[in-house]
Amino acid sequence: MAVYKRGYQRYEGPRAPHLERLLVLPRQAWRQLSAQRIVTALLALSCIWPLLCALFIYIANHTELWGGLDRDFSKMLAIDGAFMLTFMKVQSVFSVLLAALAGPGLISPDLGNQGLALYFSRPISRLEYVLAKMAALVWLLSLVTWVPGIVLFLMQAAMAEASWALANWRLGAGLVLGFWLWVALVALVALASSAWVRWRLIAGAVVLGFFFVLSGVGVLVNAIFRVEWGDLINPLRAAYGVWCALMGAEMPAGLSLATALASLALMGALLSLALERRLRPVEVVR
Amino acid sequence: MSAQEIVFENVSKFYGDVLGVNRIELRIPPGLTSIVGPNGAGKSTLMNLMCGLIHPDRGEIRVLGISPRDPERLMRITGYATQFDAAPRWATGFDFVVSSLLLFGYSSSLAERLAWAALEQVGLTDAANRKVNAYSKGMRQRVRLAQALAHDPQVLVLDEPLNGLDPVVRAETIALFRQLAASGRHVVLSSHVLQEVDVISDRVVLMANGMIVAEGDIRGVREEIREHPSQFLIRCPQPARLAALLFERAPVAEARVIEEEGALLVLTRDRGVFTRTLTALAASGLGIESIVPADESVHALYEYLVGGSA
Repeated sequence: MAVYKRGYQRYEGPRAPHLERLLVLPRQAWRQLSAQRIVTALLALSCIWPLLCALFIYIANHTELWGGLDRDFSKMLAIDGAFMLTFMKVQSVFSVLLAALAGPGLISPDLGNQGLALYFSRPISRLEYVLAKMAALVWLLSLVTWVPGIVLFLMQAAMAEASWALANWRLGAGLVLGFWLWVALVALVALASSAWVRWRLIAGAVVLGFFFVLSGVGVLVNAIFRVEWGDLINPLRAAYGVWCALMGAEMPAGLSLATALASLALMGALLSLALERRLRPVEVVR
Repeated sequence: MSAQEIVFENVSKFYGDVLGVNRIELRIPPGLTSIVGPNGAGKSTLMNLMCGLIHPDRGEIRVLGISPRDPERLMRITGYATQFDAAPRWATGFDFVVSSLLLFGYSSSLAERLAWAALEQVGLTDAANRKVNAYSKGMRQRVRLAQALAHDPQVLVLDEPLNGLDPVVRAETIALFRQLAASGRHVVLSSHVLQEVDVISDRVVLMANGMIVAEGDIRGVREEIREHPSQFLIRCPQPARLAALLFERAPVAEARVIEEEGALLVLTRDRGVFTRTLTALAASGLGIESIVPADESVHALYEYLVGGSA
């Protein structure tokens, strides 16, 4: 008998399923994120607008509070696509700010420590690593996007007449789908930025730049060159266009759904490629 | 292929135009094997290939019969520690080792128990609940070692594991490696410090420019190098007389008396005849105190094979 067979007994007990093992990473990342006070503070701040919206829905559904006022005012209090889109626009800004704060710390420390080899030798694939890190960010961003959104929708459905939910189900579905798309894009930007930029502050600035500077550049390109392809590099406009389509609202002038979707797909593909290029188990010094 | 060896068959790996390793033919049996070579020799590439972190462009690798392309099975039997400070700075040493075990699929309670055992093995229990950020370099090295050891792997792949350790911890760590190797595990470590692997390894793999220049136990490798005469340092009260006798009776290429040390340095091209003659002379009452091979060190081998020290 070989020596190792006498001296060594391998563990053959039960093991957690692969998916459950992967959850170790987002849990770890979540612990990291929740330990940052500024993230918690911004998270609390981003609850203000949903609370105001909830108050608005409450008022809109209690006619006795404003019964004496005219018809125009009652139109203003309508809970419709425009209301939901306004809610989404404000919360999307908070989600970008949160991603800019929380995202940079997710991947860059692992790259800085050359720690990817440890994860990949657990073994976890590169895709699983990205998804696991993304899950922590998606969870955080969900708290300020579709979760309060669906709460508002359900609140309105509960307070309004029974027919309201049936007539406006598209608002709820559009809100959830639209925010999922948005959260995926924001998380990809934050992770790609974290993978490529070592310094947190700069990585956060890159996230903000991607959404706000790039959007400005897109508008300028369209205006200066009198073209429309500037929309392809305008993430805010593209996402808003998709939200409008999902909610059955009017699309922004000069933007088609196809262009908006193509723009988001292009950005998603480029960001995924950026992550793929960066996340290697072994760094080769040439 | 053997299910008890780590086998490389004609393995090559290139990073674009840069050579990683080239045409590696190697079989690593249980025990302590050191991969030695200067920076850029291909040691880490060989280890990364072994762990499936990168895949060869050509050739095949089997770790105890398992392909590195099957990471799920491979990593159950393999523990890997990189040469870098890979532990997350924000975690405690204990958290780091527990997380590694959870990623392997162990239950929380078992992971915690194994993590304590591993931290105890590397002498880090006192600092287990301190953040890695506050660890010294040697402690960070040890916590990496603990995460590699924690799941009790059959194959340990350790990249530069002795870097940064103080002499006491280094001695303890070496003793741990010897103990693991003696229990039948494969302990494969890399080092560019030749002197340290000299004394601890069952076998060495000497690498240069992505290729293996020699492998085996140090004496075996030395005996294969026939173009360089073997060197022996003999301590005795009458080195000049011993030199004269050796010239008469054995195939001695060169002898040099070192007066201040009371020793004789002899170069011979026929170790067998020489050692038999020397044994006979020792028995004849010349007062020989010690006979030490002067060039059976990795350092000497490296100089012979590569033409410079690592």
